[in-house]
Amino acid sequence: MSTRNLVLSSLFAAIIVALGMLPPIYLAVFAVPITAQSLGVMMAGTVLGAYRAGAAVLIVLVLVAIGLPVLSGGRGGLAVFAGPTAGFLLGWLVGAVVTGYLSEKLVNAEQSGLVQTVSFFLACFIGGVVTVYFFGILYLGIVGGTGISKAFLGSLAFVPGDIFKAVIAALAGRAVMAGYPLLPQRA
Amino acid sequence: MKSLYVETNTILHRLSPRTKLVALAAISVALFFTRSYVLLAAAAAAGAFSYLLVGLPIREALRRLLPVFATIAAVAVFNFAFNSAEEAIVMLLRLTTLMLFAATVTATVTVASFIDEITALARPLERLGVVRAADIGLAAGLVIRFVPEILDRYAAIREAHAARGLKVGFLTVLAPLIILTLRDADNIAAAIDARGFRRQ
Repeated sequence: MSTRNLVLSSLFAAIIVALGMLPPIYLAVFAVPITAQSLGVMMAGTVLGAYRAGAAVLIVLVLVAIGLPVLSGGRGGLAVFAGPTAGFLLGWLVGAVVTGYLSEKLVNAEQSGLVQTVSFFLACFIGGVVTVYFFGILYLGIVGGTGISKAFLGSLAFVPGDIFKAVIAALAGRAVMAGYPLLPQRA
Repeated sequence: MKSLYVETNTILHRLSPRTKLVALAAISVALFFTRSYVLLAAAAAAGAFSYLLVGLPIREALRRLLPVFATIAAVAVFNFAFNSAEEAIVMLLRLTTLMLFAATVTATVTVASFIDEITALARPLERLGVVRAADIGLAAGLVIRFVPEILDRYAAIREAHAARGLKVGFLTVLAPLIILTLRDADNIAAAIDARGFRRQ
């Protein structure tokens, strides 16, 4: 990994950590607080592409494991991985890579803004929602003992918020691509 | 950013970090081989004992575990309602035990020795050419260094919005925040290479 890519991944990891420290932004539409950390995971994919996004999320997870309170609400330490929702954290890693991979494949500079945004949304939805929930639900169903189908139903309540985040991440990915494109230059 | 390490000097602190991590891994596997209430309750009690031994004030000790315990308890209630009471109790005891032992390891291993252990773990990967083990420490340092700066930048962007009478939205803040932050990457990379931190 070149020094530049290492720095880009580290800086994005810092952005994900910082997003967890901001006061949650309340959305008038849902009246629920949105924690921006999983949004950061999707944006890592849309902005950096698969390889560097995976590195960024891996750095965040390493920081959690070594005992720094970097997750939203000041959570951190190995105890976080003992929770029944730890599968979602593993899902972040794969989800960021999938989002990044699809962004690289689907989006290029010649497309119109609308096509770019829709493609970014698809990448965020498949990577940041479907993939993350796949791992989260699998882990919850097996380790949490709820069974896969009940874990699936129990998780559905959180899906609308995450789809909303995918929209935001797609728009942000498109805005960053217009202003400071990093995606086309591969590692 | 303050780590969750607790600066006291107990028997648990003096054990080698590797011993504690291997023990934690062994416990986490062993817990899934039994469904006996007695064994699991004994394990949970042992976990609570080891966590108390660390020497955190009770209030702080509980406060740290509350968010994780809340998710464990929520899933236990879910199990109780939709599966069986047996499943709920087994899962509650297992994950609570795991949480307590994991919190004990986090409280008694410094960030520096954690990084040493991860670096040692990454050595075989380094031989395969996948990662450079020393980069892990560098990346961790960079994140800790830049989080406060990003928070300052976020505040500055919000103020710039306010000064112009604009509404502060997710989107209008995120794009400039990301661009301003990543634009520094070239300079930081050049500074790292100029100092020869990565010996290339």
